[in-house]
This record gives sequence, structure tokens and C-alpha cells, in this order.
Amino acid sequence: MRPLEVVDYAKSLDCIHCGLCLRTCPTYQLTGAEPSSPRGRIYLMRAVAEGQLAATDPQYLQELDFCLACRHCESVCPAGVRFGEMIETARAGRERTQPRGFLARTARRIGFGTLLRSRVWLSLAASAMRFAQVSGAARLLGRLGRPLVEMPTVPAKAERAPLPSSTPAVGTRRGEVAMLEGCAMRELYGRVNRATVEVLTRIGFETKVPSGHVCCGALHAHNGELAGARELARSTIEHFERCGAGPIVVNSAGCGAHMKAYAHLLRDDAAWRERADRFSARVNDFSEFVAAELPMDVQGALGRELGTLAYDDPCHLCHGQQVRSQPRSLLDRTGAARVELPDSESCCGSAGIYSMLRPDDSKAIFEKKAAALRSCGADTLVTANPGCHMQWEAGLAREGVKARVLHVAEVVAAALRQARP
Amino acid sequence: MRRELIDELLAVLGPAGVIHEPARLLAYECDGLALLRQRPAVVLLPRSTEECARAMRILHRERLPVVGRGAGTGLSGGATPVEGCALVGFARMRDVLEVNAAERYARVQAGVVNIDLTLAAEKHGLFYAPDPSSQAACTIGGNVGENSGGPHCFKHGATTRHILGLVIVRDDGSILDLSLPSADPLGYDLVGLFVGSEGMFGLATEITVRLVPVPQVTETLLAIFTDLDSACDAVSDAIAARLEPSALEILDRLTIQAVEASVFAAGYPKQADAVLLVEAEGSEVEVEATLAPLRAIAHKRGAIDIRRARSAAERKQLWAGRKGAFGAMGRIAPDLYVADVVVPRTKLRELVAAATRIANDKQVKLANVFHAGDGNLHPNISYDRRDADEVRRVLEASDEIVRCVVAAGGSLSGEHGIGLEKQEFMSLVFSDGDLRAMCDVRRAWDPDGRLNPGKLIPVHVCREMRGTERPR
Repeated sequence: MRPLEVVDYAKSLDCIHCGLCLRTCPTYQLTGAEPSSPRGRIYLMRAVAEGQLAATDPQYLQELDFCLACRHCESVCPAGVRFGEMIETARAGRERTQPRGFLARTARRIGFGTLLRSRVWLSLAASAMRFAQVSGAARLLGRLGRPLVEMPTVPAKAERAPLPSSTPAVGTRRGEVAMLEGCAMRELYGRVNRATVEVLTRIGFETKVPSGHVCCGALHAHNGELAGARELARSTIEHFERCGAGPIVVNSAGCGAHMKAYAHLLRDDAAWRERADRFSARVNDFSEFVAAELPMDVQGALGRELGTLAYDDPCHLCHGQQVRSQPRSLLDRTGAARVELPDSESCCGSAGIYSMLRPDDSKAIFEKKAAALRSCGADTLVTANPGCHMQWEAGLAREGVKARVLHVAEVVAAALRQARP
Repeated sequence: MRRELIDELLAVLGPAGVIHEPARLLAYECDGLALLRQRPAVVLLPRSTEECARAMRILHRERLPVVGRGAGTGLSGGATPVEGCALVGFARMRDVLEVNAAERYARVQAGVVNIDLTLAAEKHGLFYAPDPSSQAACTIGGNVGENSGGPHCFKHGATTRHILGLVIVRDDGSILDLSLPSADPLGYDLVGLFVGSEGMFGLATEITVRLVPVPQVTETLLAIFTDLDSACDAVSDAIAARLEPSALEILDRLTIQAVEASVFAAGYPKQADAVLLVEAEGSEVEVEATLAPLRAIAHKRGAIDIRRARSAAERKQLWAGRKGAFGAMGRIAPDLYVADVVVPRTKLRELVAAATRIANDKQVKLANVFHAGDGNLHPNISYDRRDADEVRRVLEASDEIVRCVVAAGGSLSGEHGIGLEKQEFMSLVFSDGDLRAMCDVRRAWDPDGRLNPGKLIPVHVCREMRGTERPR
């Protein structure tokens, strides 16, 4: 394989080596190692493209794996380097040049090829995980079972029920939206999905959920499975086209950022590229949509219930979608007390499946976040992404910090409920 | 590098403190001056002064050359590795050891990022004044090595005026503690000597810095000009009028466009040919006494608009744009050569024009963004290092700019240091005798010439020195 096909050479030339990305990079913060920084990784990618470094060099591949793809570097890069796209390309290159071992290959095939493509399998897997957690079998699995032991318990089957394909607006109907039910969100945080529907319908939007849709392909793209990601992108576009042409509301930051970038993913396919453009224009993060559409402030009496809130920006919401003010303004409009979480734009270490692939690095990165929450003294941590949600729940339990973790939608739903009995 | 030696270093620094794999070493082959590259033999990342000293003792025994590195943002090649060297990086020494608000100083490890020091001091109503444009990345240790400047050094002075004490690991691994309880140096001012020594005297591992109170009032103005000459004249006038704002910065059209296209877009008008960024600090009366005449000067010199930052956020935005300017040039070409010269402030207009003329002659893309108040020009030349002919023209242009500035009574470097970039130019301003005196001092610190060898002193002087030294 020619080196130019495994990295995005043109984008690597945008980097002028100024180093402004270093301080924001979680892996550089952890190690102080230049090759574990965005600037260093770009340098290595460029070296691969220019034939100075083998695309199969184990240290190079290791640095690609170590990156969280949080894209914090993009928010501070004056040259506008699109690092998120570069790391996706380089990881896809890695999958093509360097075959993984049997176990890893099998696990990836099951995860990306089967579970994330079929609700039946995904749901069975969730049940199996819950069984392993509740019965204690996970503890017997040793290293393999460790992620299961450490993650929050998968909710019971009833909690994981599908959303209705259509939920009518409450009161005056103002329009119609389609909502992404999501792969992980439904299995792990059905309550967030239900809160999302509740908010959308209460503010007058009939909410549709495309039936049979499972996954947007974000996890595939972030992990170098570009062919699978493209296939799922096309399928996602088709599913949502069947729900009309109205706004699409996404309550998972990682999925939303990815769905807004479908045109880039499908850039080599003229027909799909246009469809992708039209599709992406419809995509809104939950906060983006609701902050614009919430008719009035909903001063509930949340204080007693939730205490002080702190909002942690999911990376793919602030760095990936530039959505920063909307979730904060929504929370403030509920009348809840809110404090700023220090360094809220830094990654919590969840990063999709990173926390499972590299649990030690993921935990090391989380330590700072736990300290930040402690320092601001909030009682409830609010996020907007299922991966971060899980990371916070597991991390706070581990660190012995007593704070609730909620999605923005849950807070707004609770406020609306109180405001309109 | 020999495996036993790596193992010995690993035993001292641990696995996170030694980088020896060829691919990972590649990322260290240059600093902010990407034109010059050399892969180091090993990179060491000590966590403390003691670790650094132990590692240095091993390197001394092995007679290995040593190059220090902060964040690798330097622009003169100060941290460019030399062949076979151990590169000692300070990216893991990031602890703010002490902020003493009452005594107005802070003690930090060398790898603390400039802005993190300021953030730590801010909580106490204090700040660290030298603020290089790379302050969100560069380290205090690197600032000490290069005697870095920054926009606000116009009023507050460069790094050397803010360093109260140092802990230095010497070439042989011994520790020299120059942290004094008082700001006045006792005996020889070794701290003063060390600042700006570009890693050739030793490695600073802990640094005590002066903190200054956050001013009562800070005002930031943006004066907009339709030509670069007038902006330069306004600054010359302000200097002549004995005004002392805290910063006087000029950005030209190409820079404005690059910044405005970036995440640091500051609202500089894209149609302007130049903007003058002015900041004044002090009491309300002092600030007004500085800004009123400055406004008048700007108007007299043809400013079409003068805007005032109405909030701290707006001020921050204006400065973020200025400080992201270097990186933003990445939008114009893959590489950037940031020249750094100082011109007499009465000759700003003519020397900026001369730089433009030289760039045009050499057919290279020039953008100007500079610390006008200090006469510290940064002609930024965009290029692509893969184009050998363009690289040649860039170097010729920078060569001519330096010669032209020195001929007009200016200086080689305002804040980036000499490093590899400017060492041959040293002979333009110093005689061989002067340079030999520098070599003598250097030899007192580093008798074997192992610390950052081949930098700062022109090659012919070094050779001469080596030929005559050690008759013992």
C-alpha cells in the first residue's frame, strides 16, 4: 500500500508546528511526550506519507491508538488543522496495513460487524452483559470481565424498550421532528431517550423515531472502520429520509458530530454526498434544538432535588459541533443553580470505546475531571453523551464522589414536569 | 544508543522518562524552526531536579552532547537536536511549587507552561508579565533559555527582568541553587548571566519569578489603518511623545486575513491594511493620560477607526487573535519562517518597507506582525519546505533583511534567540574578540562544550577556540 493512502497527507501540511495544541491534549498532559501530542502525531503521519517512517511501525500505531480523538486540539488550532478527520483516516490506514491478532479481529468483527448493526444482537448482548454484572459472573471472567465490572449496571429489559415510532405533541402542535434513538443510548440510557421525547413533545413537537435504525456509524469511523461507517451512514440517511424532511434531534454528542460530517465521509460518492449534505443540515444536537425552541423559561423548583449543577462539555459537542452556550442556557432557564466546572472542555477519558480498550489511560485521564468536580462542589454533573455519562458514573463511584450524573434532557424534562403539572 | 545505557537511564527516569524508539524520536527532530532537523539519540523527560541531575551525571560520564527543550516552540533552533545528543525535555516538570502572594514571587518547575503560571498567579491578583505569543504552549524554562519577550514586554521588560532565582543542573550533573530570598543578586549575578544562555550553561530546572499586581484598569484599543506605513508612523510618534502603553502591536493585511479565517478570529477588519493594537494599564487617570494622546496620534496619522474593547472577553479575543497569528499562517503555506529583528523605532516605516521590498525581490510571501513599540519586527515568510528553490529564496530574503536592519542600527534578535538560525550573523554585530569573551564565559560553565553545542557562537570562532584551548 502506498504511504499516501494510509494518511491524509494534504491535511498534515496544514500544521505549522506552532505547538498551541500541546497543552489541551489529554495524552500529552498525561505523558509530556511529543509523539503523544497532536503536533507529534501529525509529524509522524507526515513522515509516513513522505516515506520516512513505515506505516506499520509499532510505535506509530501505538500513538494512533493512544489518541482519544477528542478533537480538543481543533478548538485551539490557529491553522485550522482537521485532526479528527486525520486520525480517522490514519486509523483506517492502520486497519488495512497492519492486521490485528485473532482475538482483536474477532472482537472487532463481532462489535462493529454484528452488534452495532442489529438490534436483536445488540439487545441480546445488553441482556448478557446485565446478567454477567448482576450474577457476578463478570468477576469470574478476570481481565475480560473487567470493563463489565467497572461500568454501571446495564438497565433491566423494560428500561431498554424501544421508543414508540411516533409520539404526538402535547398541547398545541408546533411541528414534527425525527429523533435518533441510538445504539448505546437505548440499551444503557433509555431514560435519557424518554426524557428527550418528553421534552420535545411537551414543547409541541411530534417526535418520530425511524423504525429499524440501529447505529449511525460514529464508533466505526472513530476506530478506523471507514467502509462500515459509510455503509451505516447511507443506511442512516435512508432511514431518516423516510421520516420526512424536518429537523433531526440527536441526544448523543458523538453521534451528532459524526452525522453532521457525513458529507465528508461520503465525499467520493457524488450522489450520496449531496444527500448527505441535505441530511446533515437537518441534524441538531438536543440542546441546540431545544434552546432555540423552548417557548419560555421553566422556572421549576429543581434546587431541592438536584442541588447545584455543573455542566461538562462532551468533546464532540464543544469541539466537534461548537455547541457550548446552548446547554448552559437551557440549564439556567430551568432555574437550577449552576456552577462552572473547571476545564469543562477537556476530555473525560470515555472517548467511545476507548475506556474499554485502554482502561488504565482512560482512568488516569478521568482523575483530573473528578478533582475538578470536587473543587467546584456541584451535586449533579450534567452531560450530553452516553459515553461520558457512563464514564462519569463509573468514575465518581470509583473515586467515592457523591454526585448524580444526568443528561441535559433529563434536567429539562424534570423542570417541564414541575412547571406544568 | 547502547542498550545498557538506555537501561541505566530507564532505571533513573522510569519508562515514562526515556524515549528511545526511533519512530517516537522522530517527533523531536525539530522545534518551531522546522527548517532544521536532526533526530536525537534519546529523549529524557525527568520529573524532578534530582532525576535530571542523576541523568546528567550519566550523560557526563558518557561524554554525550545535551540539548534542553521546553515545549519545542522556539523559532531559532535552540532546541534542534545535535547529532547523537540526549535531548532533555521538561514537559513532565509542570508543577507550580509555590505562589507567594505576599512576597510577590512564584517558584515553578521549568516545564510549567507560561499561561499556567499566569493562571496560578491570577487567583492572587498577580500576573507574570512576559507573555510570548506562544504563551499557551511555551515553558518558563524555555523562556529563561531564550530570554523571551512578548507584547507586554514593551512596558514590563523581557524575561531577564522577571527571574529572581534559578536551580540549575550543571553539565556534570551537579546542582547549583541560585534561589535567593532577596531580589538583589549577591556576588556575581549568575542568574542574570544564565538567562538567555540558550541551554549552553546548564539546564534550569526550577525557577523563581517575579509576579506583578494585576493593574487596576486595563484598556485595549484597536486602531485601523488603510496603510501599513501610517500605522508604523503612529508608533514612532507615540515613542517620540514618551507615551508608555503596555503594548503596541501591528498586524498587516495578510496576517489579519489569516487570523480572521481561524478559530481565533478577533474581529479585525479584513479590509484594513494594518491594525494597531494598543493596551494601557494603571489607574484610570494614568490609562486615560496614555490613551488620549495615543488616540490623537492615531487620528493624525490617518486611522480610519479606533475601537475600544468593551469587556474582558473582547480584550481577550483581540489578544487571542494576535497570539494565534503565527499558527494561523498555516492557512497560507505549510511552513513559516518567523524572522526576528529589532529596528530603531524612528525607522519603523522605512525598515518595514525595506523588508517588503526584499520579499518582493525574492518572490516570497511576507506577512508582518510585530511588537512595534519595541521596534521588534517579525517579518513572517510563508513557504513550503518541500520546494528547495523556495527555501533558498526564503533564506536569502531573511539574510538580506537582517543585514539591512543591522546596517540601519538595529539588532539581530528581539526575543527568539540566536540558536542555529542566526549564529553566523553574530559576526555582524560582534568582533571575534567579543565573541571569544562569550566563549570564555561559556567554557567556565561547560568546559567540554557538551551543552547545546554548535549554537549561538559562529562556527569559525568555535573552531578557533577549540584549536587554542586546553594546552594542559
